[in-house]
Amino acid sequence: MSDWMGSGHLLHLRWDLDKTYLRTDFDSLKDLIKTYRQKAEDKVAIVGARSLMQALLDPHERRKRRVTFISGSPTQMRAVLTRKLRLDGIEPDLFILKPNLSNILSGRVRSIRGQVGYKLSALMRSYVGATDLDELLFGDDAEQDAFIYSLYADILAGRVDAVQLASILGACKLYRAEVDEVMSLHGRLFGTGDAVRRIFIHLEARSPLDRFAPYGARVVPVYNYLQAALVLHQGEVLRARDIVSVLEAMSVAGYTPARLANSVQDLVRRGVVAVADVERLAGELAAVETTRGRTVSTFIQRLRSTVADLQHVRRKSPEWLTEINYLGLYHSARFRRTRHRFLGIPLLD
Amino acid sequence: MSTIVIDTCAGEDQGREALAAAAIASLDLDVQMVVVGDEDEITSVLDGLAHDAERLRVVHAADPLPENIDPRDVRQAAPRSSIAVGLEITARDPDAIFVSAGQPAAIVSLALQTLGRLPGVDRAALAAVYPTLRHRGPNDDPFALLLDVGATIECTSDHLLRFAAMGAAYASKISSVERPRVGLLANGNNPATAPLRVREAHYSLRDRDLPFEYIGLMRGDQVTHGEADVIVTDGFSGDVLVRTLEGVAATADALIRRAEARFKWRLGVQMLGGGIAKLREFTDWENYGGAPLLGLDRPVIVTQANSGSRAFVNAIRLGAKMQRLGVISAVAEAVMTSAAALGEGSSS
Repeated sequence: MSDWMGSGHLLHLRWDLDKTYLRTDFDSLKDLIKTYRQKAEDKVAIVGARSLMQALLDPHERRKRRVTFISGSPTQMRAVLTRKLRLDGIEPDLFILKPNLSNILSGRVRSIRGQVGYKLSALMRSYVGATDLDELLFGDDAEQDAFIYSLYADILAGRVDAVQLASILGACKLYRAEVDEVMSLHGRLFGTGDAVRRIFIHLEARSPLDRFAPYGARVVPVYNYLQAALVLHQGEVLRARDIVSVLEAMSVAGYTPARLANSVQDLVRRGVVAVADVERLAGELAAVETTRGRTVSTFIQRLRSTVADLQHVRRKSPEWLTEINYLGLYHSARFRRTRHRFLGIPLLD
Repeated sequence: MSTIVIDTCAGEDQGREALAAAAIASLDLDVQMVVVGDEDEITSVLDGLAHDAERLRVVHAADPLPENIDPRDVRQAAPRSSIAVGLEITARDPDAIFVSAGQPAAIVSLALQTLGRLPGVDRAALAAVYPTLRHRGPNDDPFALLLDVGATIECTSDHLLRFAAMGAAYASKISSVERPRVGLLANGNNPATAPLRVREAHYSLRDRDLPFEYIGLMRGDQVTHGEADVIVTDGFSGDVLVRTLEGVAATADALIRRAEARFKWRLGVQMLGGGIAKLREFTDWENYGGAPLLGLDRPVIVTQANSGSRAFVNAIRLGAKMQRLGVISAVAEAVMTSAAALGEGSSS
């Protein structure tokens, strides 16, 4: 294990489901109904997500790994979603779904769409009592995952105190009961440990990268799961052969070596991965025996030419921030949503 | 899938508009973008733009191109300029298209040195489109093609004949006109008054059976009427003509703006608002994409120096369309067919 993972610790993987693990459309009511009625066999995982998950849950490492899914899908979908994960060979230790029916029945309309109260309390509840734990969080840019996950990480690290948290929850317009629950969990978890190592945000909506810069190096926006696998390889969580299985899955799904190499180049240009690491990886990949040797060798070839293109790049790695302006980030995201709703300005602008 | 190599050292806002267009294209079009320029600058601008990094590769090339340099000395003066590096990448990839808003003379010179010429072609032609009154083809395309607009300043009648064949092949593919109408730009409809090279080209085209319809000599004022789908001229006259047309459109627009600013005229101008908007849309060069450089074995598209992201996106679309429709091979075939039809009897 590298210095960014605690030696011998339990590694807790927290995954969002829709748009992070599963390819889901819920931008319109029609999409929502379609998603709800879809069978497990028809649900499709995002390219590379299944391979990455399987690599992370390698049977040899399984007793040291724990996986929790926290999804905004309603509890009524538990059977079909559990079946889908089982089909993919994934047995989550914990599967938390949103109690939307009870939200409707109790008239908590904002909770149906809102994610902050639900996800934050779910993350905190499932951490209570944990010790010697490292966490890797996976979310997407369609909702507020970077915000919620970072806030959670900073609560554990003791960087967001009760006063700050109360003002953030107030701005997010949470219901009294939700605020009470989160505040009570805060009292038990505040400062228990800096457990969150990385937060991977799958750029499903292709949001601009600078939107995640205020969260610092802990949040790593990724265009695909090869990028996440490379960062995890750099952190010595994954081995070269795990990268190969992600590569193979992506290649089967139609990713060309050029497209994969571009993803690597993007990480180098952002300073997330160094040129030397890519060179080392190319060497390690070449030593791995594969079932699709040609794909991997073409990729290695592309990787080497990409490295040659970037020999001059000496980019500083993103900084690990200790102070994040959560209120400012929440308000700027809200401003973008309001501007989109009333003026039709695209969310990505 | 097409590979679009785009030069981000030129264009509006010091190339940032070219980069914005590359970001848009990476999201919306099924293309692979290769962005050439100062990597440091590109990365920092890209951070603020929604883009798909899987479809976008950055190649560092930041040698500044001296202004007003003799086009023949460009490679020596700036061997790692974005144009030189971009064209080298284009030459290596058979599916690549090069788009740049750099100095046209430098692009033409470097393209001729780096890319291969089509068989039978010894001079390239820059082809600009211009909206006309008559629409053509099943897509109701309002654009006529004007070539050459600056690539080959000194032309012989042979060059004009090749340009006619290349322009007709291009128009036939892009505008889906089966038998394009080709005219030769002259100072009148009477061949006797035309310069020797135009007269010779006119007689060669008139007397032969060609895969396009030759409609004879044309005056400058007939260009915008749309009688011809393709107007052929030398690079010097073409450049003067196209810039005059753009200047007239810009002046008309400035006059309308001046009228809008005057209180007494404002009401009248507003009543004509719909028509004026249509006119502006019709004459807005950013809608046309750019001017393809014909005669080379790869598509090269030259956009105006002050191109915004819309112009670049349209240029990228045009390049992808050229690749999809096999325009380069159609142009190569047309040059060979026309050369055979014209024989070697045409004077040079």
